[in-house]
Amino acid sequence: MNAAIIFGLLIALMLTGMPISIALGLSVLTFLFVMTSVPIEAVALKLFTGIENFEIMAIPFFILSGNFLTHGGVARRMINFATSMVGHWYGGLGLAGVMACALFAAISGSSPATVVAIGSIILPAMVAQGFPKRFGAGVITTSGALGILIPPSIVMVIYSVATSGAVVFGPDGGRVSSASISTLFVAGVVPGLMLATALGFTTWYRARKYDYPRMPRASWAERWVAFRKSLWGLLLIVLVLGGIYTGAFTPTEAAAVSAVYAFVIALFVYRDLTWRDVPRVLLDSANMSAMLLYIITNAVLFSFLMTSEQIPQTMAGWIIDAGLGWVVFLLIVNVLLLVAGNVMEPSSIVLIMAPILFPIAAKLGIDPVHFGILIVVNMEVGMCHPPVGLNLYVASGITKMGITELTIAVWPWLLTMLIFLVLVTYVPAISLWLPRALGMM
Amino acid sequence: MILLRVLDRLEEILIASLMAAATLLIFVAVVHRYASGIDILFPITSAIHLSWAQELCIYMFVWMAKFGAAYGVRTGIHVGVDVVVNQLRPEIRKQVVLFGLLCGALFTAIIGTMGTKFVLGLIDTDQTSPDLEIPSWIVYLAIPLGSYLMCFRFLQVAWSFWRTGELPHHDHGHVEGVVESPQAARDLADQGTIGREAGR
Repeated sequence: MNAAIIFGLLIALMLTGMPISIALGLSVLTFLFVMTSVPIEAVALKLFTGIENFEIMAIPFFILSGNFLTHGGVARRMINFATSMVGHWYGGLGLAGVMACALFAAISGSSPATVVAIGSIILPAMVAQGFPKRFGAGVITTSGALGILIPPSIVMVIYSVATSGAVVFGPDGGRVSSASISTLFVAGVVPGLMLATALGFTTWYRARKYDYPRMPRASWAERWVAFRKSLWGLLLIVLVLGGIYTGAFTPTEAAAVSAVYAFVIALFVYRDLTWRDVPRVLLDSANMSAMLLYIITNAVLFSFLMTSEQIPQTMAGWIIDAGLGWVVFLLIVNVLLLVAGNVMEPSSIVLIMAPILFPIAAKLGIDPVHFGILIVVNMEVGMCHPPVGLNLYVASGITKMGITELTIAVWPWLLTMLIFLVLVTYVPAISLWLPRALGMM
Repeated sequence: MILLRVLDRLEEILIASLMAAATLLIFVAVVHRYASGIDILFPITSAIHLSWAQELCIYMFVWMAKFGAAYGVRTGIHVGVDVVVNQLRPEIRKQVVLFGLLCGALFTAIIGTMGTKFVLGLIDTDQTSPDLEIPSWIVYLAIPLGSYLMCFRFLQVAWSFWRTGELPHHDHGHVEGVVESPQAARDLADQGTIGREAGR
């Protein structure tokens, strides 16, 4: 009953279009003032100290590092490298676009930024070479979504933070610890590469079918030059993953180091940025981070209320009493998240849903890391279809195509993503193999 | 009005500097940790203690988050679910949006007031932060200040929306520094093609 009231209030407030953070905060406050015995002081303290957690601070650092490198120069070098490697196959620039998005995703934790950085260069070039506009738009809109799956990923940090406070128990009654940022990052590598390959395959298949233009084959010398030019950008992922894996840095430290690294690269090595741009980049990153941190503060409050009202535990009880196995549960989770993906952006969905769904998943014996990866893949799908798919809007801005036309344009790749989502959902090994092989779990 | 512009500026300078300072601080702390392992540098590194770095970083980001959230109201970055609202008739939509903005002002005002009480309560104690040992009330001053500023920003936005019907809009598709570069696209396209288009 309480659950219904809290959720009803939250949904009603959200539908008025007010910021999600405010809707979360207000529904918690209303509930507290009207109908509970939880002391308001305890909640106030939670609200003030909710983000005092060093792990969360990885978010602003990764945003900053991504913003320093989201400049024409880095993207262009990655596109050139990708083109020299795969441009001569069917799909030509389209296939190079997929690869460039995957590379760029490894330095940026954001999907829309990936779409803009790669798309604004490669889409006009594809049109000039005679590709239909739709084809290019479809490729880049969906490949850009790799940004949140290939580490560093802000959504993964948020998932880890959102589930870390909870005391949850597995099917055998033993305590299950939540997924760490490091493990999630490593776990994202294999699914990220697989999805990039799958999207590339779809691109290749359709390009072969319609005989779209290809590029001349690049020589190994040209490839080497292109690789060397993009190397500085690519080293960032080595720094982050390598640093975290070897234990040289904590994820937050890795993020701060990568921000400084990105700053040096952008300013002194590639020189895409001048000192005059720096305040603007800092302010923009601060703006975006503060927005996320503000949602996190209020979402922490919301999940604190959920926990103190025993809502996840009650729901876990129902699911188990109803005899639903993990197969059905994961199906429900996916449908629920896809529906939520229609109206909200990934960070908010993860912050609201993960603390509720995670205890149930743990109870059914689903691995926290696997669960996190499937949520992230699910979020990617939501970014590529209307009404709120952020990537669609970004791509629409670049291509000057309408949302409806773009929606039709993305379907072959969206279908590929959905098939991949099913695969990730029901084959835990895809997410768990690498972290296990590296002894991280 | 000049006062408002000074406030806008101060807000921007504060959050951008906190961002830069926190990044540098953690970077220096990491470098320091590794430098401490090198024998020759030991006399220098042992004189510096950076055990408080994490704590200071967190406080900097708390301040950045509170004031940045206020700045975000001004830039329209706080996203909501606007799918339904945008389907409404214009005059109803206007009222619903105003309601949303006023709820924002209400919420931040409540938090600001709760924060003030909390800080006043802390002043009477001599509670300090664990590593830096600065009085806790100074740390938590960010809550009332930031929340009241945010409340003010919501009222400001509501007022200008009431008068002009315009909302600040943050374009998530715009990424700072990415300029559409037709030249790069042309260079890429000019590398030539084979296959269907080759004979063109």
